[in-house]
Amino acid sequence: MMRVPKLNHDFLYFYVCTHLLPSHTRKVLMKQKIRDFIFDELIFVAEPEKFSDDDDLLEAGLDSMGIMRLIMFIEEQFAVTLPDSEIDPDNVNSFNALEAWVIQHKS
Amino acid sequence: MKKLDSTILQALNPSDYFTLAMDDEIRRENMPGSLCGFALNLDKEPDIETLQARIIEFGERFPVAYASLQQQGKRFFWCQREQNIPLFSQHKEGATQSADFHKETVLDLINQKQAREDISPISFHLISSANKHTFLLRWVHPFCDARGVDLIFKFLCTNDADQRLKFNLPELGSLVNLHLEKYKWWQKIALFFQAKRYITKLDQLPSIIHADTTQTPKQLNFTNFTLTDEQTTRINTNVRKHVGMTGTSLYYIGCFMRALHRMDPTQKGEAYCAPYAFSLRKNKSLSPVLANHVGALFAQVPKALLNDRSALFQHLKNENMQVIRKKLDYAFLPVMWAASWLSLEKHGKELRKSYASGTERSSFWFSDIGKTDVSEMVFFDSKINSIFHLCQITSPPALAFLSCQFNKRLTFSYNFIEPLFHAQWIDQLHDLMLEELLME
Repeated sequence: MMRVPKLNHDFLYFYVCTHLLPSHTRKVLMKQKIRDFIFDELIFVAEPEKFSDDDDLLEAGLDSMGIMRLIMFIEEQFAVTLPDSEIDPDNVNSFNALEAWVIQHKS
Repeated sequence: MKKLDSTILQALNPSDYFTLAMDDEIRRENMPGSLCGFALNLDKEPDIETLQARIIEFGERFPVAYASLQQQGKRFFWCQREQNIPLFSQHKEGATQSADFHKETVLDLINQKQAREDISPISFHLISSANKHTFLLRWVHPFCDARGVDLIFKFLCTNDADQRLKFNLPELGSLVNLHLEKYKWWQKIALFFQAKRYITKLDQLPSIIHADTTQTPKQLNFTNFTLTDEQTTRINTNVRKHVGMTGTSLYYIGCFMRALHRMDPTQKGEAYCAPYAFSLRKNKSLSPVLANHVGALFAQVPKALLNDRSALFQHLKNENMQVIRKKLDYAFLPVMWAASWLSLEKHGKELRKSYASGTERSSFWFSDIGKTDVSEMVFFDSKINSIFHLCQITSPPALAFLSCQFNKRLTFSYNFIEPLFHAQWIDQLHDLMLEELLME
């Protein structure tokens, strides 16, 4: 019997992001979702809109527990597996670095 | 039902009941309750006038600092006192010099027994002798948690009055409640049972406790060790090698468990278990300053894994990852909320102790404060040489390991209850801990 995926917001978001939108738009949406998660849940930045994609997230307060949560969030949201061995400051210290790391592991 | 005889300033939130239950347990052992301390060793006397003015400003800004903790029915409230207790006091060494006036004064303050209603929620102490100056911030759980104390220090050290106004803004209230609001009622129930299953699983293995509980608790003592730059660098490298950049605290926990095991491998019990609190605040947030905003989790390692370092760290890492993946950290929140309606004794039994047997679940208490925000700061014109932390503990486990990184150096504070543990035993334990931390 064919399994029908549960239709919820995450599924729709994932489907739209992975199938319907052009690649550039998909990247922008992905980055935005990661931004929202980090600023809503993990670190406090007085003016998030002024925080650039190259600014240092570790300097801004992203700590080990936060990185762990962030990785779980990315894996869940974007159906990607990020290897433990690659959890490195170079891969998590900015939004651009995160994006490059995630894309590298997306088929 | 007992009626409050003064004005309520603030009610406790669910996380506060968690620490208040600890306070209650400690008091039932005829100890002073859940008093904690954060101390700075300074190179000269700070600018007392400015310091005192800043402390007064802190009290005006956060009036709960002067409050009295009172009970009405099963609930507790911070209530206004008829007369404020001064927040700042100075302790000067007299003509007869004692061997260690500073440590003795710190111990007197942290072991001071006072009724819960009478004790000052927070107090600031400057301990001065001819060549030494110690500034101690003493607070009582549940007034605030360790991150809150960091914010209080930051507040005191912020010279710009406009910047000081930013503390506690926005006013967030209880972060446990804020997080719980994100879930529907049936999700909360599911989380509740998920957490209960987690606790039940932990309680299948009786914890190894080293304290000699046949002796009566006397008082808290502490020993501090500041590591060298070279040791700290080596340990930081080992952390990356063994647990990666997401597991610093787990490395300390694993090493401490192995060091304890080496002190006495025959100790009764089947697993080491260490509680660790995680902050619900966003990092770098200046709010909330007061009250506790933490969730509780446990790291548990069966005895069989202790002889294999890599298996031990892998286990701790996997366990932690599972906790976050299954959202067990947040699962604890509805349990904390529900338990806040229980009596303090029942609260401790439900959340902190092994549920089935009522025995202690924690082999030791643990807190990794991490890099402290005071690191780069000069404290009212005085250079900070070193820092240390203190906390009262229930007996058992009668032992707490508190770590932090200050000025690029790791500082470990071993807090222990005498005579259940003694200073020589702690020194031996530290030697083994250091070996474990530095082991390639």
